[in-house]
Amino acid sequence: MNETAPPLNVVGEGFARTDAVPKTTGTATYTVDVSFPGMLHAKVLRSPHAHARLTAIDATAARAMPGVHAVITRDQLEGLNPTYGYFIKDQPIVAIDKVRYIGDAVAAVAAETERQAVEALEKIVVEYEVLPTVAAIESAMADTAPELFEEEPMGVVPAYGQGASGARRLGINNCYRFSYETGNAGAFEGCDHVFEDRFLFSRDQHFHLEPFVSVARMEGETIDVWSSCQNPFPLRKELARVFNHPENMIRVQVPYIGAGYGAKNNCKTEPIAILLAKLSRRPVRFCMTMEENFLTQSQHAAILNVKTGVMADGTFVARSGHIWLDSGAYSDASPLVAEKAGYRLPGPYKWKHLDIHCDCILTNTTPAGPYRGFGGTQASWASESQIDIIARSLGRDPLDLRLQNLKDLGEAYVPGESGVDSDLRAGLNLVADRIGYSDRQSGDGRGMGLSVGFKDAGGVNKPAQARIRITTNGGIYLHCGTVEIGQGVQTAMAQIVAELLNAPLDRVSYPALNTDYTPFDQGTNASSAIVVMAMAVQQATLKAKQKVMEFAAGQLDCSVEEIELDDWSIRKGNESHPLPIMIMRYYGGTGYEFTGEGFFKPDIDHSAPLETQCVSWEFGWGAAEVEVDRDTGLVNLKQLVVSGDAGQAINPLVCRGQDEGSAIMGLTGALFPCMIYDGPILMNGNGLDYRVPLATDIPDGFVSILQEQGHGPGPFGAKSLGEGCMLPVASAIANAIEDAIGVRIRELPLTPERVLAAIDDAQSP
Amino acid sequence: MSGELVYLTCRVNGEEVSLHVRPEEIFVDVLRDRLAATGTKVACDLGACGACTIIVNGNPTASCGLFAWQAEGADIQTIEGLANNGNLDPVQRAFVENSAFQCGYCTPGMIMLARALIDRDPAPSRADIRNWMGANICRCTGYEMIIEAVEKAAALQQEACNE
Repeated sequence: MNETAPPLNVVGEGFARTDAVPKTTGTATYTVDVSFPGMLHAKVLRSPHAHARLTAIDATAARAMPGVHAVITRDQLEGLNPTYGYFIKDQPIVAIDKVRYIGDAVAAVAAETERQAVEALEKIVVEYEVLPTVAAIESAMADTAPELFEEEPMGVVPAYGQGASGARRLGINNCYRFSYETGNAGAFEGCDHVFEDRFLFSRDQHFHLEPFVSVARMEGETIDVWSSCQNPFPLRKELARVFNHPENMIRVQVPYIGAGYGAKNNCKTEPIAILLAKLSRRPVRFCMTMEENFLTQSQHAAILNVKTGVMADGTFVARSGHIWLDSGAYSDASPLVAEKAGYRLPGPYKWKHLDIHCDCILTNTTPAGPYRGFGGTQASWASESQIDIIARSLGRDPLDLRLQNLKDLGEAYVPGESGVDSDLRAGLNLVADRIGYSDRQSGDGRGMGLSVGFKDAGGVNKPAQARIRITTNGGIYLHCGTVEIGQGVQTAMAQIVAELLNAPLDRVSYPALNTDYTPFDQGTNASSAIVVMAMAVQQATLKAKQKVMEFAAGQLDCSVEEIELDDWSIRKGNESHPLPIMIMRYYGGTGYEFTGEGFFKPDIDHSAPLETQCVSWEFGWGAAEVEVDRDTGLVNLKQLVVSGDAGQAINPLVCRGQDEGSAIMGLTGALFPCMIYDGPILMNGNGLDYRVPLATDIPDGFVSILQEQGHGPGPFGAKSLGEGCMLPVASAIANAIEDAIGVRIRELPLTPERVLAAIDDAQSP
Repeated sequence: MSGELVYLTCRVNGEEVSLHVRPEEIFVDVLRDRLAATGTKVACDLGACGACTIIVNGNPTASCGLFAWQAEGADIQTIEGLANNGNLDPVQRAFVENSAFQCGYCTPGMIMLARALIDRDPAPSRADIRNWMGANICRCTGYEMIIEAVEKAAALQQEACNE
């Protein structure tokens, strides 16, 4: 904020969220609550085999079962474009020629009850020719590995800018490669030390409590689908392609979402629900179980090889890296995650040379897709672990080495990119001071570690549109396509609008998304709402306000400069003129609505590696203190201090919730078992066996500190927030473990078994 | 497969409810599908996550693991019954004021769990709250703001009693 800016009335206050009463009284509507008369229930037959050819399928008996109104097998896909995906359209609605993982959809039934649907599924006869499987990255890349796709699925490689490129099918089961290079590879030769390390990253599951769910019905020839979905407009586009259906005759409606963390992007339950609704001409609800969630989407496991060259004085020079992501059975969002994992691997440090590849490897496991952090979690784990390895090898304090090499405020991330919009050293010193880093007692089982989590935020070439309507009596409707998924966007946007219109917060409504009338949005992702959508919201609000002011000035026969908007009256000197009276006098007794449209998009810029400059850089500074039991390998987390930079917090309570929630999600990947596979078989894919952090798992020393450094590009100086604080957690803990017991663990999660094995390795001669 | 219908009578949020249920019918489905009380949510469906927590005879209970017939004669409270004539319960007020929720899907269960704690112990310690609230899963908040809200709820209730 510049010094002449007027004081803020609404922005910056920790108001109760605008969705607080619905959500605390049980009256908030989620997709699971949507119901229509005559609604049928869908259930899916899932493959018991990880890889098999579908030789025959017969659903005759299922169709004759009580209550059954429609059945889908591959025979019902005729006339459709039956496969979907982001860049690569490889995932079928139900299996066509093959199944590729345990849980792959083979058939679906719509019946009057879920029980009847399940009973009918049992009558479907399927013959499989079982094929060899690959369940991990390295075996899937082997020359002799069975291929998940013998033929190239339809797909595209997007355009990239300076230094970046993409490619498909460079090897067996390799569905995509992202590469980025800048500088001169010869830079390594001038380095005094070169470090090469291999890091492993396990895969968490989102564990969103509202399952994947949609309700579809045909209203005439219009497809009307209610969905728990993060990107309804791309979903509408994909559904139009899959069903050969006009886009204007597909309506996606999104009520409150019971969380997603990235999982609820693109097609999940919708194609099956819609196809069953078309066949049965009845509304169809397809609500997955939590077990099915585990068979539908996960985070990417990864192998990360990182090579870093430094000078004897600790100056960072060059980094090259090769990342392999476990994409699971279908490409899904893997190409996008690869782009981000690869692009984020350098971290926010000063480099002269970078050279990175990130490959997406298909395996016979649950498809991996978007997950909060989006490749940045994997990249930060490897990058920030290796920085401590380098520091210890050089005899340097890990804090000092970071302070020496971190980017300066405003310094371009890489050539052609925007400058970083946080003071990185200030953030790191803040968490180090808070945890007591400089006074720590290292060794003897107790230690501290630091980390700087990092990602580019705001999406890539992401447009946003918003519309404001103000009624005769001053009711304000904000129409924008960011969905309320828990992040508090309705509250934050309403605070921005209320501030700009000098109105109380409760005058602003945020209607639930309906693609028929909500302005277009690319999706609720990439921590983009507060720096991208909010810019469109700000513009729409100011345009509507301008219309109000011009109208009032005309009515009062004065200039706009002579009047001010004060709640829903016009102040002119000492006079106050209520707007409703003025409006009805001019527009008639039923009144009028003032409207404003807003738009924002970063400019196309081919010198930027991703073709638009990053809108906002998101950081999560983390510090951990651990006590390690050398006999059991148990890591006792004593303190976890995290901090994000909101630029200017629109609502500090909401910001705090995002930082703390993301940090504890990061804790899952660090210290909890994550998804355990025995070959292609998921061993803990249900709510009882899968462990996510509970209140009792959180240390008393867990603290989040909200920074407002004031450099953000969004309205009032806001910055992206909400993913950053998950990024530093695992590496800060691994760094603390080394500080405590002198052993380095390069594989997540940091289980007691791994800690013990690392201790044994360190002790063996 | 289904046996004889069972006649169930219980009190839900203070009102007597009587209906025939199938022997295998789950109580949360009775609430959501037959009594239109959709505030109670189902997530894991295994009694592990607590999203479906209701209060049965004073005890927080996973309603996804409760057969409908087991509710015979029971006094049941759900999220719909907490507010009194539009006045929020102190637990609801504290969750509102402290932003102790995000997506809100676990919130009805968390609020009922907290309500049951404060009914037992009007002044729980922070450690007691952490232990008790450890029964339910929230994937959004990281729990600290929930624990603070439960502390505040107890204080709000105490204040109301002293007035």
